[in-house]
Amino acid sequence: MSLAFSAARRLGPFSYEASLEANEEIVVLFGHSGAGKSVTLQMIAGLLRPESGRIVIDGAPVFDSTARVDLAPQKRNVGYVVQDLALFPHMTVAENIAFGLPGGPEQRARVSGLLELLQLRDLKRRRPLSLSGGQQQRVALARALARDTRLLLLDEPFSALDESLRAGLRRELLRLRKEFGLTILFVTHDLREAHLLADRLAVFDAGRILQFEDRETVFRKPLSRRVAELTGVANIFAATARARTSQSIEVEVAGLRLACALPLASPPPPNQVVDVAIRSERVNLRRGRSSESEPNLFEAAIVEEFAYGATHTLRLEPVGPGPAIEVEIAARPYEVLGVSSQRQWLVELPSEHLHVMPQR
Amino acid sequence: MKRGVLIERGAATTLVVLTVAFALFFVLPFAGLIDRAIRDGNTIDLWRTQQVRDALFLSFWTSTISVVLAIVFGTPVAYLLARARFPGKAIVDAIIDLPIVLPPTVAGVALLTAFGRRGLIGQPIDNWTGFTFGFSTLAVVMAQTLVSAPFYVRAAKGGFEAINPQLERVAYTLGASRIRTFFRIVAPQARPSLIAGIILSWSRAMGELGATLIFAGNIEGKTQTMPLAIIQAFEGSSLGLAGAVALSLILLLVALVALVIFRTIANRSATPI
Repeated sequence: MSLAFSAARRLGPFSYEASLEANEEIVVLFGHSGAGKSVTLQMIAGLLRPESGRIVIDGAPVFDSTARVDLAPQKRNVGYVVQDLALFPHMTVAENIAFGLPGGPEQRARVSGLLELLQLRDLKRRRPLSLSGGQQQRVALARALARDTRLLLLDEPFSALDESLRAGLRRELLRLRKEFGLTILFVTHDLREAHLLADRLAVFDAGRILQFEDRETVFRKPLSRRVAELTGVANIFAATARARTSQSIEVEVAGLRLACALPLASPPPPNQVVDVAIRSERVNLRRGRSSESEPNLFEAAIVEEFAYGATHTLRLEPVGPGPAIEVEIAARPYEVLGVSSQRQWLVELPSEHLHVMPQR
Repeated sequence: MKRGVLIERGAATTLVVLTVAFALFFVLPFAGLIDRAIRDGNTIDLWRTQQVRDALFLSFWTSTISVVLAIVFGTPVAYLLARARFPGKAIVDAIIDLPIVLPPTVAGVALLTAFGRRGLIGQPIDNWTGFTFGFSTLAVVMAQTLVSAPFYVRAAKGGFEAINPQLERVAYTLGASRIRTFFRIVAPQARPSLIAGIILSWSRAMGELGATLIFAGNIEGKTQTMPLAIIQAFEGSSLGLAGAVALSLILLLVALVALVIFRTIANRSATPI
């Protein structure tokens, strides 16, 4: 099952233009609401017509503006699950699942197979409104899969659920993907959910895809400041490129020189203004004082502190040169280090986690 | 605290007094009708006269046809108004509502100027074919439909609007055509509103007087519906006020029984939601 998608359209205040492809994997469409994620699913499902573009499902074009192909949603055979699930309230669970199937003995076999697969057997005569959120969710999935669909479009399907239920359903989704070789497009604005589910991640902003790569790359090496912001990088500094060696590039941030590992294909020339990002959980706190021999260290004092239970988030202001910085530290090291009893720390920004981005 | 309690009690008393007064205002006319009918005692006799039977029968079936027309033509319009967005939608909406706010006599005059023998299209049709709409049973149905159908369209539109449009979109992705989606998903869910609309518009058609009188006239056995028979009786036919009372009571009872039967059937065949 493969999908190739590219489309453009005017959309309210901005123009939408995006392309992506997916092949037996979970592609997470991530971004704020209104960024164009849901619109993408609607275009693939045939519920919204692009002004131009081409959408190919399993080698067959379902939309092609130049060849004037535009299959009706009825003919595209994609499974579409929306945020509010849209279960048919006047039908039983079994009737909901059977809705898309032609009648007959095959229908019954298929429905009973799906009831089994999603553990809905005991609920088949119930109506959706009498079910719990998680059960409704499974009915919606079963209904979407009924027509032997290999492409699932899921528009924030878990957003109305408790965290405990979500975990189970995510596991369910990963199982289904593996079992049937599904291609899944999953829309979410939840960073944790995106990280957990994505094989690949497409970051949407104002109708564009800013970055579309495997999950780790997007999270560790955002292409731009905007991607870094959207994917929850707390520390993004404006910096100036200075010296450069074969392995690293030196940048200056607020009077402090920092060595950054060099992953860029085309590193910026000296004196170019760049952005430098580091995730708050990648910053280390150390005792002691800074020394000339060790790079990427500076002294800072804790000015604000938030305890989230499993983690603590600290905000530090530099004592000498260096940027203000946010540090996330797990509860255990927080206690072992004795962070609560000491205000002034040596902050280490490991060069392999400092990510240099060109400014746009 | 004490003052608060007093205000509480005052408010409760006011509420009760207002409710009782309002209820009395609605109940008394019917009580008067029944009281008068019992004292006159000729309701049963009138029931047996040909004129009353004709009028009742005519009212009944013209109203039913009007409602069927409202359903056939009004349902797609209501669905379109609930779902589609197009320029001038507000105007179409207002035009459909117009007969609700207009006095029926105005509707009758309007029908006459359009479909009457000298009317906008009545005249050319008369010239070509010799066919005239006015003063026929067809005119009764037209008058009733014009006045009553908006009630159905309004109720149906409200029912359709209350349905989550995602249901239809998901149904399309499940391979269901628009027609199948309408009958399997939309209509069953709008059912209470559709039934309410049918009852409203049927009742309105049964009670229609002004438009019918002007456009269809008051011809016994042809265009004389029950409300027209009542007016005729009241204005001094052989029947007199006593006749008007009896006819009113008959109309009231028949309409009531019909509505109860319709509701029962409609609810019984409904799948519980």
